[in-house]
Amino acid sequence: MKQYTIRRILQLIPVLLGISILIFAVMKMIPGDVISGILGVEATPELRAQLAAKYGLDRPYIVQYLDWIGGVLRGDFGESIRTAEPILPQILTRFQVTAELTILAAVISWFVAIPLGILAAVKRNSMADRLIRVFALLGVSVPGFALSILLILFLSLAFGYFSPLGYVGFFEDPLRNLQIMILPASILGISISGSVMRMTRSSVLEVLRQDFVRTVRAKGASERVAIFKHVLRSALIPIVTLVGMQIGSLLGGAVIVEQIFSLPGLGQMTLTGINQRDYPVVQGCVLFIAFVYVLVNVVTDLLYAYIDPRISYD
Amino acid sequence: MKRLGQTIRDLWKDPMGRIGMIGILLVILVAIFAPLAAPFEPDKMVAMPKSAPSADYWFGTDNYGRDIFSRILYGARVSLEVGIIAVGIGAVAGYILGLLAGYFEGWVDRVIMCVMDILFAFPSILLAIFISAVLGRGLVNTMIAIGIVNIPVFARTVRAAVISAKGLEYVSNARSVGVRTGAILVRHISPNVVAPFTVQATLALSSAILTEASMSFLGLGIQPPDPSWGSMLSEARTFMEQAPWMAIFPALFIIVTILLFNILGDSLRDVLDPKLKT
Amino acid sequence: MLCWDEHPPFPSDRYPQALACDIRNLNGKEVLTVKNAKKWLSLSLAGVLLTGLLAGCGGGNTPPASSAPSAPVSTTPVEGGILKYGTDSEPTGFDPHTVSEEASLRIINQLYETLVATNADMTYYGQLAESWEIPDDVTYIFYLRKGVKFHSGREMTADDVVYSFDRVLGKTEAGDIGALGSKDSYYGGIESVEAVDDYTVKFTLKEPNAAFLGNLTSNYGAIVDKDVIAENGDLMRADGGTGPFMLGEWLPDNYVELPKFEEYWEADRVKLGGITYYLIGDEAARLAALRTGEINIANLSSTNVTAAEKESNLSVLGYQTNDYIAMGCNLSTPALQDQNVRQAMSYALDRQTLINVVFNGQAQVSTMMPPAMGHWSLGADSFDLYQFNLDKAKELMEAAGYSDSNHLSLKLAAGLMDSLRQAAVVIQQQLSEIYIDVEITNLESGEYVDIWGKMSTPEAGFDLMVVSDGAGTDPNRAISFFFGTGSSANVFGFSNERVDELCALGIATTDEAKREEYYNEAQEICVEDSTKICIASPMKYFVSSTSVQGFAPSAADASDFRDTYLTQ
Repeated sequence: MKQYTIRRILQLIPVLLGISILIFAVMKMIPGDVISGILGVEATPELRAQLAAKYGLDRPYIVQYLDWIGGVLRGDFGESIRTAEPILPQILTRFQVTAELTILAAVISWFVAIPLGILAAVKRNSMADRLIRVFALLGVSVPGFALSILLILFLSLAFGYFSPLGYVGFFEDPLRNLQIMILPASILGISISGSVMRMTRSSVLEVLRQDFVRTVRAKGASERVAIFKHVLRSALIPIVTLVGMQIGSLLGGAVIVEQIFSLPGLGQMTLTGINQRDYPVVQGCVLFIAFVYVLVNVVTDLLYAYIDPRISYD
Repeated sequence: MKRLGQTIRDLWKDPMGRIGMIGILLVILVAIFAPLAAPFEPDKMVAMPKSAPSADYWFGTDNYGRDIFSRILYGARVSLEVGIIAVGIGAVAGYILGLLAGYFEGWVDRVIMCVMDILFAFPSILLAIFISAVLGRGLVNTMIAIGIVNIPVFARTVRAAVISAKGLEYVSNARSVGVRTGAILVRHISPNVVAPFTVQATLALSSAILTEASMSFLGLGIQPPDPSWGSMLSEARTFMEQAPWMAIFPALFIIVTILLFNILGDSLRDVLDPKLKT
Repeated sequence: MLCWDEHPPFPSDRYPQALACDIRNLNGKEVLTVKNAKKWLSLSLAGVLLTGLLAGCGGGNTPPASSAPSAPVSTTPVEGGILKYGTDSEPTGFDPHTVSEEASLRIINQLYETLVATNADMTYYGQLAESWEIPDDVTYIFYLRKGVKFHSGREMTADDVVYSFDRVLGKTEAGDIGALGSKDSYYGGIESVEAVDDYTVKFTLKEPNAAFLGNLTSNYGAIVDKDVIAENGDLMRADGGTGPFMLGEWLPDNYVELPKFEEYWEADRVKLGGITYYLIGDEAARLAALRTGEINIANLSSTNVTAAEKESNLSVLGYQTNDYIAMGCNLSTPALQDQNVRQAMSYALDRQTLINVVFNGQAQVSTMMPPAMGHWSLGADSFDLYQFNLDKAKELMEAAGYSDSNHLSLKLAAGLMDSLRQAAVVIQQQLSEIYIDVEITNLESGEYVDIWGKMSTPEAGFDLMVVSDGAGTDPNRAISFFFGTGSSANVFGFSNERVDELCALGIATTDEAKREEYYNEAQEICVEDSTKICIASPMKYFVSSTSVQGFAPSAADASDFRDTYLTQ
């Protein structure tokens, strides 16, 4: 187990390195640059050269990359070209918003999807099962942006409600923070509840067929107790691993939802960065997002190995 | 071929599978016969902008005065085209890479899966935005971008299936008897991969259509005047209160189509997954 | 067939005096059966929502409804009310000398002031300068207002004015990049700036410049606090201004707070306690927020103004801008070097239809001198090339060798801005009538600017580009900045000796009649040449709660909130 943990972490190194190279290369290949963005209609070749020198953009790519990645390893993500602010502290502040949004969304999706998934499995092939499946699939099928805009419009027209403006952190004012987050988090939660439901359903089905459940049933324990005590515990394992996979779609979904609800999260920061061609900001944000995602996946892998002793890792 | 027939029969027995199959067939027919069925040219400004649905313009007209019904029909082509080609790119590349990785293991596996992990580490919409930013906009580039995003999922699915298939007795027998690698891959392992692969492909189709819609929403996908449902919906945003039909119909078609693919994929999973057969 | 109803006149009681300009067709879209639309909307919304809620199983995702906004309006001003302003994009920073994009300028205009400023009728008034005199063509002496304080509390003196212009011109210590390219186009003609005494500044120009006062009103002419710059390096996130509001908390991608500056030199005039700018990128969401009172003022496009109008608690303020949209021809494309083809495109554009589609009718056909420039503009009506004439267009195309069997294919670059994106589609459609196949690409902003700078070379990869340009208030900017040989904004490679000559004449004299004559001729040449085919100059709209009073935006100044107050 210990060996597996170490190996899994060592595997991260080439992946993260590859990610950083890919991000850097992409940023260089994207047409349009930050200097044009800053200078706008006033650009002249001399000014361009002057600015390029100021930001070190006139050096060879390899030097720029090494400079950047060297800084990242020392915990220095560089400065935003637009605002001259150091990037890492900004990313960390923004990440709190995105993290809260995704966690809240995940929790909402579990509350909705796990009970439904169990119900669907227990009543397999019944009308209830089919309905639950269709609605779960519907949740996956509605584009998050469409749902967001429809909800905003509907709530404002029908109830005069608008998601409160002016973000405050959870620790500053939990109640107001939740008021701000609840709508975007629900929309994000709905979008993944389908896959959670499906995973719950199939893992519960699988466990239900296993011998020990039959034994428990045969022993005469009521079915409900059997399901909750034994089945759920075994079924939770694959559901836990799903969290790792969800993080990707949640972070991606957050990009869109944050934009519509103007939440100051990492996704919004990335999009603003892309629009302003602020290379260091985009590089930093995307690297950070990828890092979080990879890390969560490793942690869930390890957790999986830890929870489920049946799986052996040489 | 026999397997295919059997699969379809099994699907037909499942009411959900039946709905999925019929629905998708309809969407495909719409896409094929759009030029015959559409009352107007999709890019032509034929009427007063933002007219409500009427006998002449079933779904109303958009802000340019183009017939929404005709655009929806043509949009089915664009959406399906994007979905199928993007998934095709992802599936073929993923299939080959997964097969290689799973069969050879060792360093081939490590290198391929490392690259897959790298691609997989980006939220798909961000990766698609990135790739299309490099390639430029437009139908073809959007397909390629979404296709690349899809590679890792397929590679992983196929690799996992190959590794478990290798443990099967007849495969190891074939190996020990000295059957050539290529032959083993094609004859023995591939059929075992088909089931999880097909399920994945169906689900990937729905997410490809969704990704295209999201990209068009951000203005980075299909370029005008191509009538993709995603770009129609995105265009409709500003006119939500003036002309809700501009948003309702494309949204409805996106949702229903994605839903159909999801229903089919779900049902296919049940049918093909031997573990779930009772 | 496209048909457009007569536009009923504006209900004058609903619209304040600010509407000096053309608002004739705001109500024109009544034909669109808004009632019908509403019904549709709520029905379908309800349907979609129902399914959505069911899918997510309802529970907990519908926040409690707040009470509907109260309709009755009183006229008692609220002392210290906070104006909540919904903006569409995130500001990059607040340095008045380096930033030029709109979201930032909106805020910069509250923080900083200039020596002179523009009235709604395009005349000038002293802001930080109490008065000025012009003893000869090249000398301007400004007498500064006494007791004007920076937000730091320090008094502004002539040294600060000298410092500010040194900074803009890049003459201060190393590392200061000043106003970038604008230093040449705006202040390149300045020979020297001297402090005569604490409250008197003398500007000496290299040569007479009729646009000088006008140039001083730009944000690049803002007077800044050098101590703040010394402390912060620049003003991107610091506040070194004298304006009525100060930079408060800025939570990027969310909001910017500007509290009132209590020691403002005209503090009694300012009734607002502050302005908070909230980022709401989506237009539909901005309208929803206005409706529920989450914000009380925002910019909306003409399309949604019709919807806002129906609300009893919202009012609409519109003004004619001096911006215009145009289509530029890349002169490195051989086919476009033929003036026949360019003129054919100008004839083939049905500008009124485009205005109806893109601006909901809320724009005027415009040349490079938009109607808002008043007497400087010759008006689009006086040019045959700006009258839709398909026969003539076809004739010219045929003369250039094109026909049904020989089409011309052109690549058109547009931006993500709604008006550019939509104009491109209409242009594509209209040019298809004259044997031209247009392929559109919508470029995202960074890319757009990049390509824009290359539009006179094949490197651009595009033959045509839809642009939105600000003509400014002085004809010098409208012509020489966009059409002068080698000027940085003359991206399409237009060059005409006579135009250059006329611009030189026009800037060197202050005789209005003479200037008008020069610029009229230049305008005629530019229109005839058709390298840049101008299309329309749009209206711009603010929608506010009826509780917002005393705000009168104009093309000259759309961000003056000094007289604005909120009522109960």
